[in-house]
Amino acid sequence: MRAVWRAARAAVRRRKVQTAVIALVALFCTATGVVSLALLDAASAPFDRAFAAQQGAHAVAAYDPVRVTDAQLTGATTGVSGMSGPFPQVVVEAENPGDIFLAGRPLTVVGRADPGGAVDRLDLWRGRWATAAGEVVLASEPHVADFDSGPQSRTTTLTVNGVTLRVVGWAFSISGSADAWVAPAQIAALHPTATQMLYRFTGDVTTREAVTARLSGVTTGLPGGALVAAQQYLTLKEKAAAEPGTYLPFLSTFGVLGLLVAMIIVGNVVSGAVVSGIRHIGVLKAIGFSPGQVVAVYLTMVTVPAVAGAVPGTVLGAFAAQPMLSDTFRGLGFGQDAGARPWVWAAGLIGVPLIVVLAALLPARRAHRLSAAEAISAGSTQRRSRGLRVQRALSGTRLPRAVGLGLGLPFARPGRTALTLATLLLGVTTVTFAGGLSGSVVRVAEIGDRSGGQIGVRPQPPALGVSSTRTDTEVEALLRGLPGTARIGVFYTHEASVAGMSEPIMINFGRGDVAALGYEAQLLDGRWMTGPDEIVAPTQLMNRRGFRLGDRITIELGGGRSTFTLVGETVRGVPGPEGLFAERAALARLDPDRKLAPADFFYQVQVTDGTSLDGYAGAVRTADPGLYAWNNTGGDEFATIVTGFSTVLSILLAAVTALGVLNTVALNALDRRRDLGMLKSIGMTPRQVLTMMVTSVAALGLAAGLLGIPIGMLAHRFIVPLAGEAASMRLPAEVMQVWHPGMLGLLALSGVAIAVAGALLPARSAARLTIAQVLHNE
Amino acid sequence: MPTAGGLRSVPAMTRETIVRLGGVRKEYGETVALDDVSLEIRPGEAVAVMGPSGCGKSTLLNMIAGLDRPTGGTVEVHGERVDEMSETRLALFRRHHLGMIFQFFNLLDDLPALDNVALAAQLTGSKPGPARRRALELLDELGIADRRNVYPAALSGGERQRVAVARALINRPALLLADEPTGALDSRAGEQVMDLLLDLNQIGQTLLIVTHDERLAHRCASRLIEMSDGRVARESTLERL
Repeated sequence: MRAVWRAARAAVRRRKVQTAVIALVALFCTATGVVSLALLDAASAPFDRAFAAQQGAHAVAAYDPVRVTDAQLTGATTGVSGMSGPFPQVVVEAENPGDIFLAGRPLTVVGRADPGGAVDRLDLWRGRWATAAGEVVLASEPHVADFDSGPQSRTTTLTVNGVTLRVVGWAFSISGSADAWVAPAQIAALHPTATQMLYRFTGDVTTREAVTARLSGVTTGLPGGALVAAQQYLTLKEKAAAEPGTYLPFLSTFGVLGLLVAMIIVGNVVSGAVVSGIRHIGVLKAIGFSPGQVVAVYLTMVTVPAVAGAVPGTVLGAFAAQPMLSDTFRGLGFGQDAGARPWVWAAGLIGVPLIVVLAALLPARRAHRLSAAEAISAGSTQRRSRGLRVQRALSGTRLPRAVGLGLGLPFARPGRTALTLATLLLGVTTVTFAGGLSGSVVRVAEIGDRSGGQIGVRPQPPALGVSSTRTDTEVEALLRGLPGTARIGVFYTHEASVAGMSEPIMINFGRGDVAALGYEAQLLDGRWMTGPDEIVAPTQLMNRRGFRLGDRITIELGGGRSTFTLVGETVRGVPGPEGLFAERAALARLDPDRKLAPADFFYQVQVTDGTSLDGYAGAVRTADPGLYAWNNTGGDEFATIVTGFSTVLSILLAAVTALGVLNTVALNALDRRRDLGMLKSIGMTPRQVLTMMVTSVAALGLAAGLLGIPIGMLAHRFIVPLAGEAASMRLPAEVMQVWHPGMLGLLALSGVAIAVAGALLPARSAARLTIAQVLHNE
Repeated sequence: MPTAGGLRSVPAMTRETIVRLGGVRKEYGETVALDDVSLEIRPGEAVAVMGPSGCGKSTLLNMIAGLDRPTGGTVEVHGERVDEMSETRLALFRRHHLGMIFQFFNLLDDLPALDNVALAAQLTGSKPGPARRRALELLDELGIADRRNVYPAALSGGERQRVAVARALINRPALLLADEPTGALDSRAGEQVMDLLLDLNQIGQTLLIVTHDERLAHRCASRLIEMSDGRVARESTLERL
């Protein structure tokens, strides 16, 4: 083994360029692979871990206590493996106007004696449980740092129905079973309207249909209409997986492309090393190396740089994934688990070197087969070349001779040419895909910008200094009177309860030019609302809540209840958390007595062409210092992350592809040292040598450009909708229409650009070859 | 074998010396390959350089051909200082004024004999048609026109060397440099190449032959330079065999 190691070490030293190429390729591929795997793992693992630890409920059900007794509920156990409850439940509205965290929020309050139990074991992460009347435990994610710096940390009481409860603890439920818990002694005073049951089921619970079927099994023997609402754990799981899921399809695409490029380049490097080291193989065998040892030398030669690249690649990937993971899971309650797990690290450290070794095995077998005599004599005889007809035809053309010779070079080594072409093809595919992806996310952001209004205006709350004394209609009139105003939408946004769902929903009650702001134009399906009994929903909200067009949805707000028809599906909603659109008149229908303060309104303004947005915002503040106005365009974090990542990854992959080309040209120059020396000896100038070597791969780059563009476009066509699906979004057609002739022209040249960039260095060194050395080292 | 009597394109010799080396020194690290070498070659001469392996004879040829640069001294060929030329200028100079043949022929495997010869002309800007016509003339005169479409791998050693000679001559060089031209050939093929070189010299082609082969030197050269340890040990005039 010592001899193998010494020979491999010498081979590594002799092939500095190839060694560096393998190390860099391994580094890049490992880094992207680790990011992809970490996200893949993160898409399900943190939720699953927390769900298992808390014995999360497969279904949280609310029953009508008028129709069903507690005894009936505890007796209904068909298909149930565990349950908690019955717990009295009521939806209340917090009466804490000065509390940013609680003000106006509808809260599901449950009376529960302790945080444990068979199902939904709460994570009471701060304080203690509410054991007496007058005490309450509030729900919040266990993000200590965020909590301490956020408004929750200042919340010490909760006032409902005129009763003030003291906050004694904070807990987190992975099942989302409640917003607040009180002792059984307290709940009666809050007049519960429902009974909560928390179930874990036996059998298949992996699909919505399966969970619904399990719940039906439980309720079969109960009185009709007893079940008033139910929430499945899959809804929460999908929500948790949505963000990492959005990144996954394209990150995986980059990862797979990177690994393919790595395999091709490594295969090319090793086969090149075998070809150029044939005499070396012969010498090794002649001095007693067994065929197996020769293969071991070649595999060690590639494993050393592969490991050298994989180690920093794994660290880089794990660190690169960290911010994405913690951003993704912030607020979901298990952010503290975000980070690449040990198996991801292990896969990074072992996976890529393993792939590199596998890619090297095939060419290394050739070294195994060659006999010593055959290997030693190779190179001293005139080689039988390939692609002769092409070379002949090219020599008869009027192309400059250096160009003709360069165009003929790829035909001399068809195997190497095929691998180089494949590398370039993947490089162009990556660049095309990344270009399309960036185009698509920019389109999504543009849709958001178009409908989001260019200027946001909100009256300042009195607590923050000068506040506006104008009513919402007066503010609207003031804005309409300002020069440059084109359209205004006025929104009152509030959370409301939806019958059948424990999680509240945001509703944007709008008036003014809401439809004309662009929301109507971005309808994916259906139509804009025409009355106070109709609502429109953004696609993401519809998918996450399982809404369908035509659904009749019952909404409760401030004690009022009203049923709406869902008539339209838009791409995006009002800036902020996704919410339903409803007419302002719908608010009066739901809760006619609601008191509205000026600070409760949000104004979206679109200005006429040529109006300076910052200037307009300044004009608003001058007109009424109590109004806060800001430029609301841009700043789409998702678009920034995706565009940034895809740009960085495609540049890296293009660089790796260029390294592959560099390797090919370096190998070609090495193989053709004698030819290059001869050409120079008969008068070929260094520039002509450079031209010849660059032309040999530029032609491949052009071919890769022409073939890679359709493949990249195809990948874009399949992957982007997948990402949309993972984010629960339907994408409008314009999001996919990102290709235009100028862009395609540039992409077609990208293959040539990558090839030329990769070829320049070895081509220059070929041009500088010392003829005397080359021709006399026979 | 046909004589090279038809090769009437050797340029007229108008200069007194075609090669002039003054105190040339070449070092490779610690090793001195050439040490204070001075010599002159006149137009029409056939000079053989001999000596044991490592004596510096190939290095000397490299200096004259501009394939390598001296560490010290001057190298003048065809009236121009090749040791001071840029790489590009050197390439153009070689293209127009020098022809080279090597021990291992150094033909391009990818091109048939005709295109190997024509290639050198095409590098000077000749169009494919005229370059091939001229290459065919040369191959014909060297007796291998019937092998014009054969690739190097299928040619015999002697045929390959004749293709190499044709390539070296296609641009009508003032000086033909030969580095062990018979070193890789069997005796019969070696004889043929010797005849060819002799014929070339007899029609006025200036030759510089680096060789181990005394028969070649005595057959083709009119002057012998013997080298030892990087120095010119002895110069003598030869009576051709």
